[in-house]
Amino acid sequence: MLTLRFGRVGLSPALLAIFLGVFSSVSDSWATPNHQKLPSSVNPQTEIRTDVNAGKSLVPASGNSPQLVTASLGKARVKLTTPPINQVLPNDKPVSLAVQAVDQQGKPLTNAKIQLAIFTPSKTPWFSTDFPIVEGTQLLNLEAIALSGKLQVQQVLPIRGNYQLIVDVQPLDGKSFQATRQVLKFSVPENPVKYRNFAILAVILLCAGGCGGWVIGGKQVIQPGEIAPQQVRLLLSGVIIIAIASLLVVNISAEFAESHQHQHQAPHNQAKNQLSLPLNVQWLGDDSTHVGQLAVMGVKLTDPKTGIAVKDVDLKIKAIQLEHDQTVFVYQGLSDVNGKLIWQQQFFDGASHQVEVEVSPKAGAINKFPPFTFFKEIEVEGIAPPLMGRFISLGYFTAILVVGLLLGLWLRRDRIFRASASCR
Amino acid sequence: MRTASINSAGAFRKQVVDFTLSVPVQATLYTSLCALTLWTLYFSSYPPAHNSLHEVRHHTLMVGCH
Repeated sequence: MLTLRFGRVGLSPALLAIFLGVFSSVSDSWATPNHQKLPSSVNPQTEIRTDVNAGKSLVPASGNSPQLVTASLGKARVKLTTPPINQVLPNDKPVSLAVQAVDQQGKPLTNAKIQLAIFTPSKTPWFSTDFPIVEGTQLLNLEAIALSGKLQVQQVLPIRGNYQLIVDVQPLDGKSFQATRQVLKFSVPENPVKYRNFAILAVILLCAGGCGGWVIGGKQVIQPGEIAPQQVRLLLSGVIIIAIASLLVVNISAEFAESHQHQHQAPHNQAKNQLSLPLNVQWLGDDSTHVGQLAVMGVKLTDPKTGIAVKDVDLKIKAIQLEHDQTVFVYQGLSDVNGKLIWQQQFFDGASHQVEVEVSPKAGAINKFPPFTFFKEIEVEGIAPPLMGRFISLGYFTAILVVGLLLGLWLRRDRIFRASASCR
Repeated sequence: MRTASINSAGAFRKQVVDFTLSVPVQATLYTSLCALTLWTLYFSSYPPAHNSLHEVRHHTLMVGCH
């Protein structure tokens, strides 16, 4: 028969370890495997080619001035202009990223084709972000004709960390300058509100643990007819009441939120395209996708009378997350010779999105038509975060609670010891 | 014999009570209950919990949402 000396053996850490160990063997089948899939032409590990005249990459300087990152490669160079770091927050407003192809003297290169691929920071399972499925994935893949050598997008960056921007620049005629590929980095700091909220939560957990330890560490006096000391009964009853109250608040709030969401859905479902558009717009992209996956987006414009593709039309793309009416992506470009504009984009939030394509004639175009907007709703399926990552974070929070508990136990026992010592 | 079995049953009951009321077991129960509450509030994918605390989860460090 196994005898356990509870005065010496601490069961709480052992049980917690067993609890975590059992669930660590469960595969993350709840989440879609999140492998970083790269197009064959894009490889973030590509070595940067340099020549004897190549300069070094400039480290972005902190401060209030716009950041300029330049990496030299052969005869062409790429300049990345971003807002100052102190003005960028994850999952906030769209961040303006401007890529400019220049020659060695810094003069802008014209008539270029630029491909921009944005990759999110690497996975951090031991320090999870609020979008763990998005970690280590590709956020955007866009190839466009840049007559002025400049490509600009506005993209919401969902998580903190170092983003990789892989820029491929090619001459449209294939010979005016040397094609180049550069890997640039852009760092996004964590939202300071998260640190504040975590500190508040840590204090609450320490206090809860300390109170629990204080009560549990007291002299356990059982009165005749009782099954447990009064203090312990009060403590456990109190915690159960808090748990019940929390679940009640959660469930009642969810009921109100669900009814509010149903009211909001009606106006979006009523948004439709005009019955007759000046140009035929064919949607070439996906109708639905899920978080962590690059979705194909694209339109094709043709003349409604002749069916011929309409090129060099001004297209302003805007992607909006409908749940919070949040603009997540903005890009303005031109349709190509086939009347198409195709790009790949990841929707990092599991909610319905709407892609708006504002079509207008290019300045100085011969064929004029009234500008119009084409709408396309995209269903984005959310994916629960990996179980292991959630358990790791829960482990951290529980560890803080246990620290408070041990502190409370120690303080109570120390007080009892001093009281008994003074009585003698 | 009957007295011995009654005594052994009483001793077993007392052992169970002592075990249950021991500090490590109480501390484990208390920690487990708090951990379960934390899981429900911050990590559960149960839609009512996720939807009602969506913004809190997104604004707390180390809490993954999507």
